[in-house]
Amino acid sequence: MKIIYLFILFVIVALAQIFVPIQMVMDSEDAIISGEAYKFRTRPIDPTDPFRGKYITLQYEMNHFNTENSTYVVGEEIYIYLKNDSEGFAEVSQISKTPLQTEADYVTARVTYYYKGKVNFQLPFNTFYMEETKAYDAELAYNKVNRDSIPKNVYALVYINGDDVVLKDVFINDIPIQEYVEK
Amino acid sequence: MSSKFNKELEELARDQVISSEIADKISLYYDQKQAAKPNRLFTIFGVFGALLVGSGIILMLAHNWDDFSRITKTILAFIPLFIGQCAAGFSILKNKARTWKEASGTFLFFAVGASISLVSQIYNISGDLGSFLRTWTILCLPLIYLLRSHAVALLVILSSTYYATEVGLWNYKSNETPWLYVGFVLAIIPNYWVLVKNSLLSNTTTIFSWIVPVSITVGLAAFVKGNEELGFVMYMTLFGIFYNIGRLLVFRELRTLRNGHLIIGSLGTIILLMIFTFRWPWEEMYDTTIYRSQEFYTSLALGVVAISILGYTVIKKGIRSINSFQVSFLIFWGLFFLLSGMSTVPMILTNILVFVLGITAIKIGADTFNFGILNYGLLIVSILIICRFFDTDMSFVIRGLLFVIVGVGFFITNYRMLKRQQKKLIH
Repeated sequence: MKIIYLFILFVIVALAQIFVPIQMVMDSEDAIISGEAYKFRTRPIDPTDPFRGKYITLQYEMNHFNTENSTYVVGEEIYIYLKNDSEGFAEVSQISKTPLQTEADYVTARVTYYYKGKVNFQLPFNTFYMEETKAYDAELAYNKVNRDSIPKNVYALVYINGDDVVLKDVFINDIPIQEYVEK
Repeated sequence: MSSKFNKELEELARDQVISSEIADKISLYYDQKQAAKPNRLFTIFGVFGALLVGSGIILMLAHNWDDFSRITKTILAFIPLFIGQCAAGFSILKNKARTWKEASGTFLFFAVGASISLVSQIYNISGDLGSFLRTWTILCLPLIYLLRSHAVALLVILSSTYYATEVGLWNYKSNETPWLYVGFVLAIIPNYWVLVKNSLLSNTTTIFSWIVPVSITVGLAAFVKGNEELGFVMYMTLFGIFYNIGRLLVFRELRTLRNGHLIIGSLGTIILLMIFTFRWPWEEMYDTTIYRSQEFYTSLALGVVAISILGYTVIKKGIRSINSFQVSFLIFWGLFFLLSGMSTVPMILTNILVFVLGITAIKIGADTFNFGILNYGLLIVSILIICRFFDTDMSFVIRGLLFVIVGVGFFITNYRMLKRQQKKLIH
């Protein structure tokens, strides 16, 4: 093949290679700018969970929903529709296997198990990346605050816009976790 | 030229086996031949250099600098990608040497993965590993052909295998089948075929002759969902395909150790059949054959491929060239689908089949004076006999006697072959 054709094909491939991450950036930026912000309450995580690199692992209080429908299968992707509770934290309004005709915001999650009318699921935005020197302190702080008896002082701020979900920040006592760790 | 070879030449000239002019000519011939070859070592170091620099840059960015704004971090995430693309584009446009193409391709491969994962890190996109590997592989696959890069081909095989196992095996939370893996393998095959056609005896071809069947063997496990019994049929057929590919005319000049298809096909067939020489797999197999399942259709598709290759060999080389390893997958299909209701009959037939395969290997080894294959055949027969000790009530005297006979058999066969080989050398 002539070199010029080869080069043109390469340019097309190169554009695709650039397009994928740019698309991710655009979707995320769009979610932050025009998406709805939700606060997800976190809950204590297993303290023996090994420290995994430069991010902290989050677990949410929102991890189950009671339903009569017993056809949910482990590993299935489901739609979780959201609403805000009286204190301004996100809670589940309904779940569904297929997208519903509604204006409400949703996130997708995977079913982890189903038992006696209770569907357990895992929200996808469970890793929060940090500067590597701060990540360990952040994990410690996150565990400490989550295990003390003061309720609702740790939450994740998540922007939702259609299919795009961006975990913007994690707050401890209304202070971003980066600043909290520096204190 | 290596100093050892030069010393040998000097010695031959000194002892007047060859004249010193001829020794000089030989030395000159090899020196010129060497100079004409592209510097392979340089290519290898180029690839390693690209690997190290690429991963170094990624690690620095992964520090996730808090002092930078989101925009700065995002721009930084694209820098390795741009560098890689410029280098690769330059080596295509200027039609640079192999070293350039291999090194820039390797760097670009990692840069693509890095830019996606760095953006995920900046925006805390957790996304699952399977879809990340899929996107990565798709974006880098064309580079194999655009750069004619074997290093990228190798990396794509690795990432696609990782994708298949991640989606199909390790991710317990998902019950998907990685169908795209089939596409990845099909996309890699033309590159492998060109290698086999142009440089069959090179080390690169040997690496691919091993890594392609290994990847498919690992990847096939991701296609078994629920009907594990049919998984045996799938694997048996796959090993049949490998063995038949290994016996194709194009691979005839290859040494056995360089023929990964042949070895993996043969070993896989024997190991699987050895399991079925016991009674318990047949008993548990009873009426579990499900014809309307993904596994059955996969087996069927593999069967069509295997039979096509076998048919091609029969047409090209004649039915007499076919040995029992090449048809054992067909016999297994017969036993599995027609006789699985029973347990004793298929068990006995499998024992006979393994015994015949052992004898076939011994015969191939004896005919080609290959001690490796000869002893492989003897090993098959011995393991078969040892396995039968587990489920029969023989007295220790008989068992002991059988062991002695097998051991003596090893000695005699090897000794006779050695004698024959010596006789042949004398004549």
